[in-house]
Amino acid sequence: MENNINYNIVILGGGQAAAHAATTIRQEDESSSLAIITNENYLPYERPPLSKSFLLNKVKESDFLFYNEDHYKNLNIDILKNEEVINIDFEKKLLESKNKKITYTKLLIATGCKNRSLDLENVNSDDVYYLRDINESIQIKNKLDLAKNILIIGGGFIGLEIASSANQLGKNVDVIELADSLMGRIVPKEIATIVKNKHQKNGVNVHLNTKIISTTKIDDGYEINLSDNSLVKCDMIIVGIGAMPNIDIFKDSPLKIDNGILTDQNNKTSIENVFAAGDVANFFHPLYEENIRLESWKHAQNHGVAAGKNITGIKTEYKEIPWMWSDQYDLNLQLTGRCDQYDSFIKRGKDENEGIIYFFIKNNKIVGACGLGIGGKIGKDIRLAGMLSEKKVEIEEDFLSDPSSKLNKLLKK
Amino acid sequence: MSSENKQWIEVGNTDQIDMEDLIRFDHEGKTYAIYHIEDGFYATDGICTHEAVHLEEGIVMDDEIECPMHQGIFNIKTGKAMGPPVCIDLKTYQVKVEENKIYIEI
Ligand SMILES: Cc1cc2nc3c(=O)[nH]c(=O)nc-3n(C[C@H](O)[C@H](O)[C@H](O)COP(=O)(O)OP(=O)(O)OC[C@H]3O[C@@H](n4cnc5c(N)ncnc54)[C@H](O)[C@@H]3O)c2cc1C
Ligand code: FES
Repeated sequence: MENNINYNIVILGGGQAAAHAATTIRQEDESSSLAIITNENYLPYERPPLSKSFLLNKVKESDFLFYNEDHYKNLNIDILKNEEVINIDFEKKLLESKNKKITYTKLLIATGCKNRSLDLENVNSDDVYYLRDINESIQIKNKLDLAKNILIIGGGFIGLEIASSANQLGKNVDVIELADSLMGRIVPKEIATIVKNKHQKNGVNVHLNTKIISTTKIDDGYEINLSDNSLVKCDMIIVGIGAMPNIDIFKDSPLKIDNGILTDQNNKTSIENVFAAGDVANFFHPLYEENIRLESWKHAQNHGVAAGKNITGIKTEYKEIPWMWSDQYDLNLQLTGRCDQYDSFIKRGKDENEGIIYFFIKNNKIVGACGLGIGGKIGKDIRLAGMLSEKKVEIEEDFLSDPSSKLNKLLKK
Repeated sequence: MSSENKQWIEVGNTDQIDMEDLIRFDHEGKTYAIYHIEDGFYATDGICTHEAVHLEEGIVMDDEIECPMHQGIFNIKTGKAMGPPVCIDLKTYQVKVEENKIYIEI
């Protein structure tokens, strides 16, 4: 392939939002030349299995590609793999990788997130594992084959999912978390405690309110002193302390950035003909009347689809209700809507067997919900809570708190 | 299984399934999902092809069923998996209604 290439439409980043945007663009526009540029060596794939079913050897790489090679070929979508874009000139409409210069007429930025990193004293950085892409998941898998004692730093979703997988693979696992509760502030403490108890029942040591005091290299790993006075020996360290938008290459550009790339409700950035979607976009949400940034599977898909339409000129306002899940053991946790801005909450159900849901209430309406249940127990109510929040339906506490009342009745009112 | 071996099995009464809803039906170790939509009654396998979750707790919208676990969507009439995360179709079954009783052919 040539080193100087021009496309009508370029998608920078080859993840979930990119795959859906490209496919949508082709449904509307058969003729524009179109390429996805990715620094990965894979076709766009789903990330949720990386911490769960893929680590557990239940699925293989080809099982979680969004689309196979033929899909892109048939739609005449070029995928330029292993091309890390290192420079961008919005004025010249030019992207540069080590070996290529690519010009565009319209650009979609879908570069996703990168993991926050941690410097650990006395620890060789090669011994510290992070998880974002397939290669890292394969490295973790390979190391898990040999390791016995795993220390996971960070009790967020990804850290806990890896803890669940490593535990199911028969490993000794310690999780340390700085805060007094797992999974951050948006998950109610009662729900976080049920999750913690599940980990502990399965033999995972969960250290809350804990930080690392010192690390010492020993023969086959490390000895770690924790602030809760425990001493943990481990032969593998995995860090999951959150992610941030992949925006380094735009730092010196005029592109407006504030916790991600700022866009309006139509995926438009501050630069003409430049759009953004997925984890990297801090987009204006018409329902909430402010900008929000999400890191979630469903959002990446739908935001990508909306971007595809907006790029082809079909003006599409993106106002989906946020939704995400986390699976640990047989537990399924789901969050919808806004879980950080409410006056009060109403609880439904008592435990994971029955399904437990916190509905977050503002002005007597649901604005968000967080639920936990075995299998698909809480899925329907969480979905309906999202719909009720969108329709701004007034609710009654007695009805909402009763697990036997059917929420869809409220929708039909 | 050849069609000769198939038989009609009674599932229940039509008034047991609300419009735009489904029930779970267990028979000889297998789980089925029986739906009531605008166009009538339909039946598919009762377990999601993605991660073995009961569709019973899912949500029916028009002629689609959405899985409660990861919101994978299937067409109720054809069983077709409509997109990620689901990629394997659901098996569908013939349904008949006689004197307000629902039967599926399995
Ligand atoms: C381990 C893991 C588990 C997850 N589990 C869940 C879950 O259970 N439920 C849920 O709702 N969500 C989950 N998520 C979140 C979900 O996967 C993401 O929200 C989604 O992938 C975001 O899609 P995206 O297209 O915005 O970014 P990504 O899918 O991250 O794609 C961005 C792509 O851009 C590439 N890129 C970045 N910079 C450049 C550059 N300069 N040049 C070239 N290419 C570049 C990246 O390498 C990457 O391939 C999980 C994420 C991870 C990492
Ligand atoms: S289990 Fe049904 S979509 Fe995942």
